[in-house]
Amino acid sequence: MRLGVIAWLMAILLPWPPATASAQDATPPDVLVSRHLAEAEDLRVGSVIRLALDATGTKAREFRVAGIYEPTPDPSRLGQVPRSVRLHLPDLLDMTRPLDVPAGAEYVASVNVALVDPADAEQFARDVNARLPGVLAQPSGEAAGSAGPFRVLERFHLAIAVVTIVAATVFLLALTIMLVDERRETVGVLRLIGLPVRRILVQILLEGVLVASVGAAFGLVLALLSEQLINLFFQWRYDTALVFVRITRDVALTCVAIAVPLGASATVVASWALLRRGGLRLARR
Amino acid sequence: MNAIGFAWRSLVRQPARAVLGVLGVAAVGALLFDMLLLSRGLIVSMQDLLDRGGWDIRVSAAELPGSGLRVPNALDAADSISRLPSVQAALVIRSALARIDRASGRPIRASFQGVATRSTHPSGSRLRAPWTILRGRDAAGPDEVVVDERIAAESQLEPGSEITMRATCVTDLEALPATRLKVVGVAEFPFQTTNEHTTGGTLDALKTACGGNVGHDADLILVTSTGDPDGTAGAIRGLLPEVTAATNREVVGRLQQTGFTYFRQISSVLTTVTVSFAVLLITVLLTVSVNQRLGEIAALRALGFSRIRVVKDVLAESALIVGIGGVLSLPLGLLLASGLDRILKGMPGIPVALHFFVFERQALYVHAALLTATAIIAALYPMRIVSKLPIAATLRNEVIG
Repeated sequence: MRLGVIAWLMAILLPWPPATASAQDATPPDVLVSRHLAEAEDLRVGSVIRLALDATGTKAREFRVAGIYEPTPDPSRLGQVPRSVRLHLPDLLDMTRPLDVPAGAEYVASVNVALVDPADAEQFARDVNARLPGVLAQPSGEAAGSAGPFRVLERFHLAIAVVTIVAATVFLLALTIMLVDERRETVGVLRLIGLPVRRILVQILLEGVLVASVGAAFGLVLALLSEQLINLFFQWRYDTALVFVRITRDVALTCVAIAVPLGASATVVASWALLRRGGLRLARR
Repeated sequence: MNAIGFAWRSLVRQPARAVLGVLGVAAVGALLFDMLLLSRGLIVSMQDLLDRGGWDIRVSAAELPGSGLRVPNALDAADSISRLPSVQAALVIRSALARIDRASGRPIRASFQGVATRSTHPSGSRLRAPWTILRGRDAAGPDEVVVDERIAAESQLEPGSEITMRATCVTDLEALPATRLKVVGVAEFPFQTTNEHTTGGTLDALKTACGGNVGHDADLILVTSTGDPDGTAGAIRGLLPEVTAATNREVVGRLQQTGFTYFRQISSVLTTVTVSFAVLLITVLLTVSVNQRLGEIAALRALGFSRIRVVKDVLAESALIVGIGGVLSLPLGLLLASGLDRILKGMPGIPVALHFFVFERQALYVHAALLTATAIIAALYPMRIVSKLPIAATLRNEVIG
């Protein structure tokens, strides 16, 4: 069992001239500061800062910046500059403990537990819940919740994608109807020289598959090029390391799996009405 | 026959392609309309939520209300604020975690909002707690509470029922005795999130629930000015420099710079993509259509139709496809917006009453302007084709071909 020894303190950073602790002074405890905070306050490794619980300086205490870290990107905090400090838990409790609470009687919001076998998470949570009333133990997957912002955004983008596909399909049908209509004379001649409808339909289908495959490949190249641009823009805009667009193999395959059959089907559907007419009627000017 | 009438006949002559073109524009237009509603939806909705209770200034310990930091000595602060000449009333809000026991089933974990009003203004007494009573009446006594619809439904409570509550006001370690409280009303809490249960009452009721152990801090102080929120917020900042006083407009402005930016950005990106998509497709549609009718257009020119007239015909055709599709896109867009809104409201921590897609007249105007621009830009290339069409050569090719 591993206690979460590093805690977050969204503390108020009191103005204090950055200085390196001299050897004869007692070395202040170490803290880590987020890159954003370090940049905003011009802090470097070795700087000594003073942290307090509020702007009036309640329980102010000196700390030494032992390192600067990049906060784990969190979409739910998008747009917020993470000015945060990481302290060792005992230091945090020393600062935040109310006067009437004895040391060791403080509470923490949560305890992360690393199991020897992660597959035991369910059973372990059940055991803890049974043995420690008042404590709620959950496997990490459940604690994250099924309706987290990621999943909701995923559903939202999926809905947008569906609408886009519907619109694209309708346009595609309109275009293929026009393109097929443009070739009615050719199709009429093919019918007149004896090619059966099925043979012409197969040819149209193959053409459709070819055009749709080229279109899908072009779309993927365009997506790969724009992926980088979109990520660079949003990472710059929000000062975050979050990745906004990632074209994975699965995403690419899904796109191809939708685009190619859709394009080919649109061609066949558009051609079908034409092929039902007689060869003479098609070939006449 | 004018250009519109002529374009209409061209479309009617090819019903399948015309209908599909219009439907395509309707689908793209609906998405475009939704993105425009999304671009300012959260801001408009949040402004509406903040303004709803009549409280126009929010005093909190952090830059944004709801950060978890508390205003120290809140009742004294509210007293001082209420004595300002430009203040009608100040309302202290203190939240605590509560557990409502049930006869059967697991207890309900809820938040308890305790409120206390301070006012020296004659009209201050008419201002109410920041919730809306749906049934029954507002809680007034130290043993009275109002509950939200979810608690009422899950515990089968109605005004007049009693609940057993254990509230923790200071730390989670408190082991307080259960307190019996009377439910006097069912209320709607504007900032309640979808996965939350909320109860409300007076600060005295919260004290009762917490066994008197409430402390002197508060989460928020709501203030109503006599008509000058900016001036009043400035006066509060002067009076209490350790707290943040922000008008509703300022709170929305801060949220706009932080939490709401993602949806504005995504809506800008999708608006650009949607408009480009529409321009591209309508251009292709019109170009192919014009190319198929080159002989016909050349014949019309030979019969005496001027160059400008055939250009107008193409433009009118584009306008008709985009216009009809655009009109259809509005109800379609509203329908789609309600579905997308439901999806996004599944996000944790989003108040039930907050909406991502909010209709504004401005969005309608922008939608119309973008579609008009789309119709014109999409028609540019086909218009160029018909304007440069060599009449004799085209007719000759048509006959020989």
